[in-house]
Amino acid sequence: MLETPPAYARTAFTNGYEFTQGTGYALPEYPFVAPPEIGAKQLVRHPIVIVGGGITGLSLACALARYGVEAVLLDEDNTVGVKGASSRGICYTQKSLEVFHRLGIYERIAAKGVQWSVGRTFAGDDEVYSFDLRQQSNFNLSTQPPFINIQQFYIEGYLVERIYELGHVDLRWKSRVTAFTQNADVATLTVETPAGSYQIEADHVIDASGSHTPFHDWVGATMQNKRGDDRWCIADVRFSKHPPVERHTWIEAPFNDNRAVWQHLMADDVWRIDYQMAPNADPDAVSREDVVRERLQRQFGKDVEVEIVWVGPYAYRSRCLDKLRVGRVFFMGDTAKIVSPFGARGGNTGVADADNLAWKLAAVLRGRASPTLLESYNAERLEAAQQNVQVTNRTARFLRPADGMERCFRTAAISLAKQYPFARALVNTGRMAVANSYTRSPLCENTGGQSVQNVAFRWANGSQGVVNDLLQWADGDLLVLVFGELTATGLERLQRLAEHAPVRSVQVLAPDERAQAVEHLRDINARGSAHLQGACHVFGHAWALLRPDGYLAATGEAVDGQLVAAVEKTLGLR
Amino acid sequence: MKTETALKTSANFQDADAFYECLLDAHQGLNREQSELLNARLILILANQLGDAQLLQACIAAARQIDTA
Repeated sequence: MLETPPAYARTAFTNGYEFTQGTGYALPEYPFVAPPEIGAKQLVRHPIVIVGGGITGLSLACALARYGVEAVLLDEDNTVGVKGASSRGICYTQKSLEVFHRLGIYERIAAKGVQWSVGRTFAGDDEVYSFDLRQQSNFNLSTQPPFINIQQFYIEGYLVERIYELGHVDLRWKSRVTAFTQNADVATLTVETPAGSYQIEADHVIDASGSHTPFHDWVGATMQNKRGDDRWCIADVRFSKHPPVERHTWIEAPFNDNRAVWQHLMADDVWRIDYQMAPNADPDAVSREDVVRERLQRQFGKDVEVEIVWVGPYAYRSRCLDKLRVGRVFFMGDTAKIVSPFGARGGNTGVADADNLAWKLAAVLRGRASPTLLESYNAERLEAAQQNVQVTNRTARFLRPADGMERCFRTAAISLAKQYPFARALVNTGRMAVANSYTRSPLCENTGGQSVQNVAFRWANGSQGVVNDLLQWADGDLLVLVFGELTATGLERLQRLAEHAPVRSVQVLAPDERAQAVEHLRDINARGSAHLQGACHVFGHAWALLRPDGYLAATGEAVDGQLVAAVEKTLGLR
Repeated sequence: MKTETALKTSANFQDADAFYECLLDAHQGLNREQSELLNARLILILANQLGDAQLLQACIAAARQIDTA
């Protein structure tokens, strides 16, 4: 799949939601292999069964494979690419890229995708504001760029190939889950395949099957729903025009009846143009080929040649489960929450869900942490889900204000934004996804909970390393970074801690400081600056306790009982 | 800290009557829609002068107490 460009020539055009199945691209197909359970007399019990091979399920599977943890993944078709109405991600955050770097597929994403950092927002013909994420300190420390745009199925394809390479996870294609039960002892799934149906048992089930999941009903999950009357229509196109490699958004586009428009680039020179339609517009009508072409002409001119790759109408919608774990089932990605696509908060948070649970499952299954650790998945990722739903709902409300006072305030905000810088903060065309911090986690002290950027440093031998290398070296254990020179007791305590707990320690030194620990490195990158300490949010003599997902669990000053307590807490032991 | 965010309920105007007159004058000659827009712009400008999130919330909550007025 990956070295040959997708076939665009025979692009079939339909205006129905079935078009979103990806007939515009040539997608890879994976072989169905009849599983050993078919025809077996005894039920086989698996520690982990993942349902759904989208970006979330595959990220989880790949992360588990990297830890050497066995799992089964069930996917109902035999390819990547998303079925269903609206969910086709194109925009991947720095945090996701850092995760993909750890999983070993970042280089391929970087080679295929398009980097960008500048966004501009227009109202009418005026630019209201712009940003350059490269200039912002919460993005500029990492070795990964702020964003890369690439079609979601490429990432899914890279993940599949990486999983095949790593082993440990059994990818089962054309396997649809048709029934599910669970009790205190075990979960049981019925799976339908071309070779017949079978049952398997599981200790942990992860539902990453997307927005149409049957598991919500099966386990009785409760949730908060919101639906709007706003309609949008995506057109993914290739054309003879070459707009700047920037994110452009219009709140009131003159070429779209003063409704909103998004313009963004992805791989293969494909542009995503997303048009806001009239409220309650008929999805079939707005996505008809002649209608889409006419709309594109109004924006780019009549002489522009347009090749339509994909069209997808969608409506505003948000949903958030009340609990992300019910019994043995963990919900992640679109089964946990659904957000409007503003700010790329869908797929990226699915990847973060997966990365959050992967190390916890691995630590528990490898006997290095208490099973109560798994409870923290709900606390941490529910907070993130609720925040992402709130942020995207606010954008949705700005873009589709209720008639009357809501519209009046928006008109006021836009008119002020053209005159005064302060009001630009009110103009909301989507707040770009971030690595959500955990403020109510049972694992993190109040000094922790933030993501640490993948900054560069030098190993003891002078070669360059990054935070992800350290995490990889820790192999699922916790990582203590101790900044500066140590006291003799501090050194001894660290050694004892490493003997008794799944913890690895590294001393981080300035170029002129004396190394005492065997494992040490220098906080200086190729350009001669020190960023590791800042990325860990500490100053001077300090320690930082890092989790395998690159989040800070806690920070402190002296190597003492506080560090030991933080380690216990992070492993779910306290 | 507290004193910064607490809602002022006694007069803080340098000249209350002059402000009130100025506000009414600003609406002179505007139709209902234009007046609403002016008010909305004014609220956003004033809100930015205050800035403090708690104080703004307290102001909005106080303004919502219409029934007891």
